[in-house]
Amino acid sequence: MEKSILIVTEKPSAAQRIAKALDYQGKPEKVKDDGVPYFLAHRDQKLVVVPALGHLYTIVHERGRRNYYPVFNFKWAPRYSAERRAKQTRKWIEVISRLANDVDGFIAACDYDLEGSLISYCLLKYACGGKEVVAKRMKFSTLTKRELEKAYEEPLPHLDFALIEAGRTRHEVDWLYGVNLSRALTLAAKRWSGRYATLSTGRVQGPTLKFLVGREREIRSFVPTPYWALKVKVEIKGSTYEVEYETKTFEKKMDADAVVKACKGKIGEVETIEVRKLQQKPPIPFDLGKLQTEAYSLFGYTPRRTSYVAQRLYIEALISYPRTSSQKLPPTINYTAILKALSKEASYKKLASELLGKDELKPVEGKKEDPAHPAIYPTGNLPERELRQPEKRIWDLVVRRFMAVFGDPAIRQSMKVCIGVNGHRFYLRGRRFLKEGWTRFYRPYVRAEEALLPALKEGEKVQMKRVVREDKFTRPPPRYNPSSLLQKMEEEGIGTKATRADIIETLHSRGYVAEERIVVTDLGFDVADVLGRYCPRVTSVKFTRELEEKMERIQTNSEKRENVLVETVSQLKPVLEELKGREQIIGQVLTKAIKRARMQERIIGNCPDCETGKLMILYSRKTRKRFIGCTNYFKGICTTSFPLPQRGTVKPAQKNCKRCGWPLVFVRLKRRPWMLCFNPDCSLKEERRKRVEMQSLREGS
Amino acid sequence: MKCKVCEREAENEYCELHEKAHRNILREYGVWKKASDVSWKQYLIEVAKNPHTGVWAKEVAESLISETK
Repeated sequence: MEKSILIVTEKPSAAQRIAKALDYQGKPEKVKDDGVPYFLAHRDQKLVVVPALGHLYTIVHERGRRNYYPVFNFKWAPRYSAERRAKQTRKWIEVISRLANDVDGFIAACDYDLEGSLISYCLLKYACGGKEVVAKRMKFSTLTKRELEKAYEEPLPHLDFALIEAGRTRHEVDWLYGVNLSRALTLAAKRWSGRYATLSTGRVQGPTLKFLVGREREIRSFVPTPYWALKVKVEIKGSTYEVEYETKTFEKKMDADAVVKACKGKIGEVETIEVRKLQQKPPIPFDLGKLQTEAYSLFGYTPRRTSYVAQRLYIEALISYPRTSSQKLPPTINYTAILKALSKEASYKKLASELLGKDELKPVEGKKEDPAHPAIYPTGNLPERELRQPEKRIWDLVVRRFMAVFGDPAIRQSMKVCIGVNGHRFYLRGRRFLKEGWTRFYRPYVRAEEALLPALKEGEKVQMKRVVREDKFTRPPPRYNPSSLLQKMEEEGIGTKATRADIIETLHSRGYVAEERIVVTDLGFDVADVLGRYCPRVTSVKFTRELEEKMERIQTNSEKRENVLVETVSQLKPVLEELKGREQIIGQVLTKAIKRARMQERIIGNCPDCETGKLMILYSRKTRKRFIGCTNYFKGICTTSFPLPQRGTVKPAQKNCKRCGWPLVFVRLKRRPWMLCFNPDCSLKEERRKRVEMQSLREGS
Repeated sequence: MKCKVCEREAENEYCELHEKAHRNILREYGVWKKASDVSWKQYLIEVAKNPHTGVWAKEVAESLISETK
């Protein structure tokens, strides 16, 4: 009888690709068992390629109720037993268990990282009945046929247990923190108010919220101070150029005025011309963080979106594994083969051919390394389908960055012309490329504009065209956006490349922060305040980083999982005791914050009548019907009110009507959302009414 | 004791959040005075209407203006 091997993969799309790559005809048979897909491929033996659905096992409280803390006893269990939304994972586990009974060998082919290794370990251990000890490991960084075949032919003899231990520890430590602290906050609020509201925090979430609160405090307490600057334009050979004054800012208005008076309408003279050549090295290859930052600044994609799109491109074998911290491209990836393959695409043909013509291909590399994967690079495969715009953009960005790292340095010339007027100095600056170098490969993503200057000589006369004083004020520090927050987390060494983007999203979904340029809500302030006051260690960046480093050491066998867990429990115990002892006061603070947050969620905008009150979604005490009313009604100042639809969900849209400028309300009824302008006199409404009348008349005739 | 501006608990006149804004208002008056020789009241008015002023600083400035009336 033919021997058979069970290959465990991370998700259905990866299973299909792996089966296709390993089947000698490239046509594996797709089987569906109880709705669970798997693939039968034939090579030297029969291959059963079965997907997981991400994590099929999770950590659960070993015994006891859900609504108490502290909890330190846990076990790994199927996800369907712990999460209501994970019911389908039961069938998945059952099918994999059945398939495991009829095979002769096991191979783990999940992504080669903490999560992938843990997914395959749990499946092999729990669903396949202790096969983690005999299973082999396929290690690959791209899902290309060539690499998958090589990974299958030369598998690692066993699973990477150090990586698995590190992954397990991370999940367990995060569970201990998350479950205990979140329950402490939620229960404190529930016991005080009698109402349930989910409040959460975690090992990384707490310190991240702390950064945001720190910045928000600076912004909200900011007092601007005045300063003055000059806006100066000169005319040279018929063209106007902007120049800058030798002192960028003035602390006193009269000092700025004195310069204006001395220079306005005068003739200046070119005193010196300084020309410098600058060499600009090519950029380093993308790790996930750098790709996320670049995609945010170029396309406005959130880190999570970029990560999701990059993962899809990886599954389609267009780019290498994206969740990497490496900034290095080893020669083993075969630069020449990739460039040759890319040159088949018309838009890369010329550039790739140019690089192929070089004597040596040597990439510029960054400092960071990742033992499991190289930096992100294109596999050379071309899309088999029309890519969607975000996919196209990220793929193009990865391809062009890959080519740019092999380019020559760009050489830029900068010119600084010093113009003297009445003892004052102004600078005219110009820059241009002398040699484009790598920038040619990275176009249109290069951010360096040229500013060309006319030919000038020392002693040449220049007309001061415009000298104006500008009144300015200092500005508060900028708000974090998803990309700058991700960079901050990376700099501080908290979270992992795979989890940082999700943590930012969690802060949004919990209502602790809002908007893209992140604003901390009152609820966020109060949660951070409670954590900072009663368990400062939990929000300490230093403490979180140290724990992070210990967990990383497990990967290199220089730290033990047991030690980290024991330390975590001993750190958490006093913190939880403190929280329990102060439950009443914490509950009171959090209940007030939740109440304020719920009120805030119902505010639609400013009242157009009294202009001092806020319009809010309110409920009539008599009829329980909802309507929009002004908050000044309770002070007896304003009686403005508007009707609202009584069915479906209604919430502020945070947008204004394009026609009348009134705030809009978002209404969702039977999955058909629409924006409602509740201004009875909005001209858009009248137009719409007329249009409907016309239509019904036409239909009638 | 309640904060002069909001309902939060306060050790002195202001809660912890508004206290920082109050300190900033006191500190920056020196810069304003040196730059354009404004009076304390005029300074508070300027701060309260400036778009770059933080929300808490604005609230404290408004509370101080109403006290000086």
